[in-house]
Amino acid sequence: MMVKRIALILALPVVGFLVAVLFMGLSRKITARIQRRYGPPLYQPIIDVVKLLTQKENISHGVLFDFGILLGLAGALVTIAFIPAGGIHPLSTSGDFLVVLYLMLLSPLGLALAAGASENPNASIGVSRKLTLALGYEVPFLLAALAVMTRFGTTSLVEIVSAQQSSMLGWGAAALPLSALATFLVLPAMLGIRPFDFATAPQEIASGPLVELGGKYLAFAAIQGALHTYIVLSLFVDLFLGGGANILTFLAKVLAVFFVGTCINAVLPRVSVAQALRYLWKWPTLLALAGLAIAAVMRG
Amino acid sequence: MAMETLFAVILPAAFGGALLVYLAGKVSGALRNLLAVLFAAAPVVLVALLHGQDVRLGYYALPFLQAELALRVDALAWFFAITVSAIDLLAVVFSLRYMQGKRGLDFYYSCMLLVNAGMLGIVFSADLISLFVCWEIMSWATYLLISYKGGKAVAAGLKYMIMSTAGSCAMLLAVASLYATCGTFDIAALGQQLSGMSPGYRLFILLMFVLAFGIKNAIVPVHVWLPDAHSEAVSPFSAVLSGVLVRMGVYGLLLVLFVMMRWASVLRLSISWPVDFHYILAWVGAITIVVPTCIALLQDDAKRLLAWHGIGQGGYMVLGIAFGTSMGIAGGVFHTLNHATYIALLFMVVGAVEYRTGGVRNLNELGGLAKRMPVSFVGGLIGISGLIGLPLTNGFVSKWLIYKTLIGEGHPFLAFAALIGTWLTILSVFKLLHNIFLGQVPQKYAGVREVPLSMQLPVAVLSLTILALGVFPGLALRPIAAVQSSLGVPAIKTTLFGVPRELGELNTINILAGVALSLAAVYGLFALGKRARRADQFDSYGAGSYVPTDRYQYSAKFYQRAYEFIGPYVRDRADDFYAWFVGKAEGLFEEVRKIYTGNVNTYAAYIVIFLTLLILLKMGGQL
Repeated sequence: MMVKRIALILALPVVGFLVAVLFMGLSRKITARIQRRYGPPLYQPIIDVVKLLTQKENISHGVLFDFGILLGLAGALVTIAFIPAGGIHPLSTSGDFLVVLYLMLLSPLGLALAAGASENPNASIGVSRKLTLALGYEVPFLLAALAVMTRFGTTSLVEIVSAQQSSMLGWGAAALPLSALATFLVLPAMLGIRPFDFATAPQEIASGPLVELGGKYLAFAAIQGALHTYIVLSLFVDLFLGGGANILTFLAKVLAVFFVGTCINAVLPRVSVAQALRYLWKWPTLLALAGLAIAAVMRG
Repeated sequence: MAMETLFAVILPAAFGGALLVYLAGKVSGALRNLLAVLFAAAPVVLVALLHGQDVRLGYYALPFLQAELALRVDALAWFFAITVSAIDLLAVVFSLRYMQGKRGLDFYYSCMLLVNAGMLGIVFSADLISLFVCWEIMSWATYLLISYKGGKAVAAGLKYMIMSTAGSCAMLLAVASLYATCGTFDIAALGQQLSGMSPGYRLFILLMFVLAFGIKNAIVPVHVWLPDAHSEAVSPFSAVLSGVLVRMGVYGLLLVLFVMMRWASVLRLSISWPVDFHYILAWVGAITIVVPTCIALLQDDAKRLLAWHGIGQGGYMVLGIAFGTSMGIAGGVFHTLNHATYIALLFMVVGAVEYRTGGVRNLNELGGLAKRMPVSFVGGLIGISGLIGLPLTNGFVSKWLIYKTLIGEGHPFLAFAALIGTWLTILSVFKLLHNIFLGQVPQKYAGVREVPLSMQLPVAVLSLTILALGVFPGLALRPIAAVQSSLGVPAIKTTLFGVPRELGELNTINILAGVALSLAAVYGLFALGKRARRADQFDSYGAGSYVPTDRYQYSAKFYQRAYEFIGPYVRDRADDFYAWFVGKAEGLFEEVRKIYTGNVNTYAAYIVIFLTLLILLKMGGQL
């Protein structure tokens, strides 16, 4: 029993990692097809990461720089272990949704520390943009998250998922359509993809926080970015799309959301920070507010 | 008997220490410093020995009022006493080098100990007279310490004193009225008598006390004294001020709401649903979180930024206790302790930076000090993690308890205020950390060194406390459960690593294990890669355009776009009102002052007119 549980705990980050790597390849492929190119093979990201990991020269800006990169990846891994993935939830009794919300801060904090320690103005500007964006999307996202917790009367992710198992009508998206829509509208901002990719804009600020990263550092940051995508999407699936009866249906849903996101990313141009804030604090926030009000009234 | 002697010694030692230190300063500076540390340490030891005791000690019978003045220690008093005395001890240790060479040190140390003694007196008071007297001693000593630096600090001190006096008047009114109706000053006895009083009277008493304690706890809209006071005071005292002194307000609220009024009778003070005392109190708490935290985001002065967070964090405590559930109170009381640790730590870190950079606390002028001051940096990092409430710091557990209460009680909008406060906090405290410690170090600070050991020590102690209570929250939650029993509310069930399964899902040791294992695994992979070459701060990629040395402060206006959106909405209206009021009052007093012409003839005329009036009145009375 204990062995099985430990195996499951270890399995979750591995699954997350594999899916995340698949995402990286898939997103390049989908984008290429939309832009009528052939695109690289699906396993191209693996080649890239292995290449970066085995590069002959690595450059560091000190202990804090190293620590930030390590914390970034470790934070993402530990967060994954707390998110139920289609019936697998080995650590769910150690932390609820609130814990996950906070654990999700670890890896951006790590990256921000590394960016600060990299002593490059572009990195700091990228972090300030990222944090401003985060404030932008957290307002609607937290409202929507609270609507879910209020509607299902629990802060436990496992209970939220199991409450949605009856049918598709029991899904969070059906019970709380406004909150689900609001969250969907801010998903690109949470993922940091276009049109909200100004924090890591390559052409303006040389990829922002990533500017000083090379070799294994860049490999770590790339894996962390992919894991972050998996975390956000699996949370969305758990909150609004009924989680999954088993790991396969769960991953299928994650993949479906990912596909939509990639399409948005492929066709939209980048917006500015001010435009993003204006957007995020308008329609998604109003929808999420209405959603929360309805959830509160229905419960009260 | 031994315990009673022990208890009887604490306050005389604390007050006597303040006097002795002042006298010792006239003999030698070294002796004064030694005595200051000893007399700050003595209450910590004595209070620690009193753990788990319940002692009551009558010390004086007021002959003309037939009232006995008494001190008592129970779980509530003990919890606050140990926090107060420990933070004060650390601040005194930090002061040794920080204050070295400044003027008026005898006065400074004496006041620090006096403030400590006053606070201990407040928490140990068993009757309202002792409480009021100690409250005033604390308030006046605080005024002296805020104004210590002179100049702008005097204005800040005056602002504090005016508001504090208003609060004291409210408290005095309530105390006098209570004696008139109930005939006793004893807090516990009042608890029994008050429940029989009319709701209107109880509401009056409650509002007077909430005003008095609310001003000290700086809840919006009576917070205006705090930002000036915190930023103008010297850093070690800012740590005490924001960490524990302001939180005497929380102690007072607990005392009034749960001991003096009994929570059940507070709940009955509702007219109809939204007009409900505890509901309004909760919303005041929520506003106290959101608005000050927004304002904190806009600050460029490190201490002012922390001061605004000090106000905002007070909102969490109020929110926690406003619902009177065992989990909420546990969260609120635990947050009081946690706030004391991380805000004191952050003020000390900012103080350390001031100490080494020649008093610079403008966030737009610093940068890159992490490599120069590693201990202070780590302290700062742990401090902001606590303030944000990252998992594995103590702030996380208390905030978790508060969120859980709000969601469980069905108040998602209050929970939203609390949660969004946290995300606003992230932005502003990351700016604090980044602009001081990260990025490029300006040329003029290239020679900055770490602060001396006696300043590192309090920073290290507080950092370790934050982590220890974050991983083993049960260490603090057990005394808090005892506090709850002494308040007469159901005690929260706790485990060493959080709360038991029936209350919710939180197990800090598993979170720690997860983080540690992931870090180890990632480090393993990291170590497999080729070792990195160290690069200098100017050896960086600039896409062909290199950063000009010392001519480009890229951390200024860190969140410009967010400021543009938030800025117009978060003016401190309460402070505007205060400034308007002060302006009008000054005009009025200026007119009144004209009575004093400085001319003896006019004064003689006044006397004659006054006497004439008296005679006329007397004659009028006889007619």
